[in-house]
Amino acid sequence: MRLGFIRFIKLFLASFFIQSSWSFFSMQAMGFLFNLSRGVKDPDKKRDIYRVHRGFYNTHPYMSSYIVGATIRAYDRGEKAEDIVRFISVAQTSFASVGDQLFWQTVRPCLLLVGVILGIQFGWVGPVLFFVLYNILHLYHRGTGLVEGYRRGWDVIYLLKARRITLPQQLGEGLGALALGFLILMAPFNFRALMILPLTGLFLIMLFRKFSAVLIIIIILVIFLMTIIFMV
Amino acid sequence: MNLHPILTMTLLGSLLILDKYAFGEFGISMPLVAGLIIGAIYGDIRQGVFLGGIFQLIFLGGLPIGRDIPPDSQGAGIVACGSYFLMRPGNTLEGAIFLAAFFGLVAGIVGGALEILVRRYNEKLYYQFMRRENRLALYHFLGLATAFFRGVVLFLPFFLLAGIITYPAVFSAYTKDLLAIVGVSMGLANAIYLFAKRRTVVYVLIGGLCALALFVL
Repeated sequence: MRLGFIRFIKLFLASFFIQSSWSFFSMQAMGFLFNLSRGVKDPDKKRDIYRVHRGFYNTHPYMSSYIVGATIRAYDRGEKAEDIVRFISVAQTSFASVGDQLFWQTVRPCLLLVGVILGIQFGWVGPVLFFVLYNILHLYHRGTGLVEGYRRGWDVIYLLKARRITLPQQLGEGLGALALGFLILMAPFNFRALMILPLTGLFLIMLFRKFSAVLIIIIILVIFLMTIIFMV
Repeated sequence: MNLHPILTMTLLGSLLILDKYAFGEFGISMPLVAGLIIGAIYGDIRQGVFLGGIFQLIFLGGLPIGRDIPPDSQGAGIVACGSYFLMRPGNTLEGAIFLAAFFGLVAGIVGGALEILVRRYNEKLYYQFMRRENRLALYHFLGLATAFFRGVVLFLPFFLLAGIITYPAVFSAYTKDLLAIVGVSMGLANAIYLFAKRRTVVYVLIGGLCALALFVL
């Protein structure tokens, strides 16, 4: 039993569209079904998949490949539908939580921070570096997720503790903290410290007090307008 | 008013914004990268990266987790950079920067609201699929069209406004410095919120020492 190159390519390309029809009710369900349908040839099996997996599905878009790989394998092996549904319901929340933590909360903001610092100093280097590094990791998980998911089946869930997840997480946290330290010292030298410090304090209080992001943007808008009024 | 650059920018922005959810999520729509692309098209990469970078810092902590929809950072960055280059010929540098930043922030809020509408509309696509399950691909890919249309609805009014508006001379110039101060302050707060932990203190100190060494040298 093999995933096969053609099937891998089909699934890999389909994975880029996992969130195309994202909705509040079913979230990524249609994307997930579309992904699975690219890995199954038999029309009867496809109909079964549509019947069994219609409903709710949501996970981290990059990590979905692991679940898709394992699910395709389960269908190839003729596993029971209830077991597959049980696996998906457990795996989607676990991979969502780890993926959000790894990509949205660590790797992406840390690389963006580094990209902005380099971008403001050296121009195009910053955004290009962000784009390249980020996509190496992103595409790695999309690609190997399918292969490992298919190879390990249900056991793919144990990869959540593997070095492929923990190492970039640790490196990202370290790099993000390094960039933070750099920015803390660089900012007052390059801009007016007397304005940076109180504003940073104000924004920090709002973030730690969990102000809504929209409210924070409105406050920034008010700061902009007040500056104009005081300058007139 | 010349409609050609406005429509071109709307089309470009609507294609870039597909990267937010609908296709790939490669990071091409992030304000920093979108700023580079728009700046390169208008022949001023430095200014594009600067504006994109500042918007990136402002929205650094906006995390799209689960059902939570933060303000549209990607839309905000594209509107800010696009408006700046559309307004620049008829405005002073300071005027164009101020208006672009203002438009960008408003677009961030409007974009978040539009995102909710699009997701509600996509529910209808899902119900259609439930009735005709052999048309899964059609209803799924119609989601790309709704995402693209959201981009057009979001960008076109801002870019049309940018094409006609002139910064009133009565107001003092809002300098690049002041925009950078607000952006860097928000970026610092976001970075502290995300990365300042007990186990990362050493890295923060090393980063600070690097900045100090660079400054002294």
